[in-house]
Amino acid sequence: MSLEAEAGVAEPFAHLARGAARRGEVVTESAPERELLVLWLDESPYALPVERVREIVRLRPITPVPRMPASVCGVLSLRGEIAQVIDLRLRLGLPASSDASPRRRIVVLHGEDGQLTGLLVDRVSEVMRLRDEDLRPPTGRDAGTVIGLAPQGDRFVSVFDVERVLDLGVGA
Amino acid sequence: MAARRTQKQARTRATREFVSEVEEILERMRADLADLADARAGGRLDPDLANRLFRSAHSLKGIAGMFGFEGVSDLAHHMEDILDGLRMGRLPPGAPALALLDEGVELVATLLESEGGDFAADSLSQVRSLIERIVASLTAAPAPSADDDLDGIDPTVLRALTEYEEHRLLESLRSGCAIHLVEASFEILCFEEGLSELTRSVREVGEVLSTLPAPGDSPDSQIRFSLLVATACDATALHARIENPNATVRTMRASRGDPAPPQSKAPHDEASTELSSDALFADSARAEGGSDLESLKSISDTVRVDIRKLDELMNLVGELVIQRGAIGALADRLLADPMTSRIGRELAKVHKSLERRLADLQAGVLEVRMVPLRQVFEKLSRVVRRLRRDLGKEVRLDIRGGDTELDKLIVEQLADPLMHVVRNAFDHAIEPADERVAAGKPVEGSIRLEALQRGNHVVIEVADDGRGIDPEAVRLRACTLGLIERDTVLSRKEILDLIFAPGLSTSAQVTETSGRGVGMDVVRENVTALGGLVHVDSQVGRGTTVVFTLPITLAIIRALTVGVADQRFAIPLTTVLETMLVDPETIQRSEGREFLNLRGEPLALRRLHAEFGLDAPAPGARQAVVIVGLGDLRLGLLVDRLENQQDAVIKPIQGPVRSVRGIAGATELGDLGTVLVLDIASLVEDAAKRREAA
Repeated sequence: MSLEAEAGVAEPFAHLARGAARRGEVVTESAPERELLVLWLDESPYALPVERVREIVRLRPITPVPRMPASVCGVLSLRGEIAQVIDLRLRLGLPASSDASPRRRIVVLHGEDGQLTGLLVDRVSEVMRLRDEDLRPPTGRDAGTVIGLAPQGDRFVSVFDVERVLDLGVGA
Repeated sequence: MAARRTQKQARTRATREFVSEVEEILERMRADLADLADARAGGRLDPDLANRLFRSAHSLKGIAGMFGFEGVSDLAHHMEDILDGLRMGRLPPGAPALALLDEGVELVATLLESEGGDFAADSLSQVRSLIERIVASLTAAPAPSADDDLDGIDPTVLRALTEYEEHRLLESLRSGCAIHLVEASFEILCFEEGLSELTRSVREVGEVLSTLPAPGDSPDSQIRFSLLVATACDATALHARIENPNATVRTMRASRGDPAPPQSKAPHDEASTELSSDALFADSARAEGGSDLESLKSISDTVRVDIRKLDELMNLVGELVIQRGAIGALADRLLADPMTSRIGRELAKVHKSLERRLADLQAGVLEVRMVPLRQVFEKLSRVVRRLRRDLGKEVRLDIRGGDTELDKLIVEQLADPLMHVVRNAFDHAIEPADERVAAGKPVEGSIRLEALQRGNHVVIEVADDGRGIDPEAVRLRACTLGLIERDTVLSRKEILDLIFAPGLSTSAQVTETSGRGVGMDVVRENVTALGGLVHVDSQVGRGTTVVFTLPITLAIIRALTVGVADQRFAIPLTTVLETMLVDPETIQRSEGREFLNLRGEPLALRRLHAEFGLDAPAPGARQAVVIVGLGDLRLGLLVDRLENQQDAVIKPIQGPVRSVRGIAGATELGDLGTVLVLDIASLVEDAAKRREAA
């Protein structure tokens, strides 16, 4: 693993996300406008609150862990911390991707207690703004992991309930 | 709005620091107050204890003031007054003074708990009323006694004494001690060592009242000190005690008749270095009314560090190790090319020395994390003391090996399990006095708490001389609960091990019949989480011993990497007894379980690939066995390849899945990437359980 690859993480949107994440610390829950990171699985856009994103890294070797649920594809070391990586496609019941596309990314989330989890996604595109009143109820097809649909242009972005996504129904 | 939240966060962090620091101070004060009360029963006030308490109150005052908790600061100030009165002899060391101090400590503790450090105005009324009572008791105290006879004491020495030192001098004279002036010269470059050596030897027979720089001619490279000493010894005896050949002893006052025993103190390194460095500045310090300065100094020679910061340092060191690997590889590449081999050689040399320094750095960071078990042992001893008082049960707690060091995190996690086991011994194992007498045992029960280091592990034993565990009772209970079949054949040891089974140990029936109480399953769970083991041995009527085996640190380990299918695992080297290669045909089977003949003893085997659902190796391929052991359990792990040994920083695996049995965590191993670390304790225990179930 070369040092250059590590440095390559600093992409424009990663900066954007991190900056927003920093700002997110002082944005209160009741702020009228939220910032969401938009990510893609196949050709469907999903989004999650940008303040939960610690960083976005390129796909790199993931160490598989035995005895874990299938949707956990393994663990990854992030500057000394070891985080589980969830294959978001498998988590949502989509077929696994054999695609080694250079656009695949791992979105690293931090939990309330500073705990890290990586989400493997097909690609990441941008940060969007959403006013709470614009959020539409979900159509109810996504196993409860989507809290609502956010309009963007002529389509809707599915907004994740992050806790539900991370709840694999194991452990306590 | 945002600003307010940030401010609040900052305040919470500050408050947290305040609370933890104050808790530490209170803890120390409680221990010292208890000791002071014990010592007082002997009729004398231990000056060291009173001083330490004074310094604690002083720290409390300072820190509370710094965080703006004026009420607490004021209370601490008044407690300081009491302690000052005690150590100066202005206040009798009677129960009323100690009760006020106790009350002060408990009040601060209560406020801390209920307010979380955010002391509200109304709770301060309690503080104020306590302060008023303190003031009343101080003014009621008798005036300091008139000047005693100080004949024979060198007036230049007398002038140099602080008020406190003069008080100690008078006390010593009153008790009939001899007063000597010990003078010695030291090399200026290493005087601290020599001086503390001298102080230590004097303290074995007496009290060092004051350490002063001595006037007189000495070469420039030397420095002279005088120690004012109170002791029962005469000058010759004192001189014989002192190993320093160039020290002189001058008697200022011979001992009178049959003096009270001197305050002979165990050597106390900390105090003596503190004295020696203070003595250098004694003149200026005293001119400014030095005792305050002295107490501030003693606070500042240690630094409190959040363990998470040490973890961060450890991470950084880990990363440096990885980068060092990259430099090594680069040096190799340069060496391989004749065009660059010269520069490659130089880089290789730099790399080598970098490697050594990094190893030192790593060891240094690790060492900072190590704390003596005494911290926990002292807490336990206080609990036992309190239980003894509250329950009126005569039990002695013998503590050995308190200096044994363990990683701070492990020591913290160990407090509860140890407390649990000690309480069980106290409450249930040790019989009531009449029962003990009838059994021909001494009335006073005994609990022995002993720690010792064994290689890379620390073994802690909690042994009592109580009624012991009746294996039959345990067995019956386990049958009733359906934990074992009625006809299961179990060794005595295996039966005793059942007390760690969930459900069984919580049953009241076993508590009554066997003398072992609740929650041993939790104890085992906690210890296993630390990568340790806990076992019990017991003899009916003779007593029970609970043995904890723990790794010294969780932070960094030497690991053996092994290959299984296309994966790699790390095994903590501390658990590896030996490794060997085996031909598949030497593996034997019994009831479907595989084992190996290891020098005449059967050794249970587990195939790691089967364990973890990985691809099996080609049939007939030679396999490697890693023989691991913890406590007295042994297990052979069959793997495909033995790779190499590396330093590994074990990290917990974060994410939604809390734990995977058999995996302790993961580590980043340079170019090998992230490697999972096996949890040998759980693998070995599973194997043992399987054997039991079989």
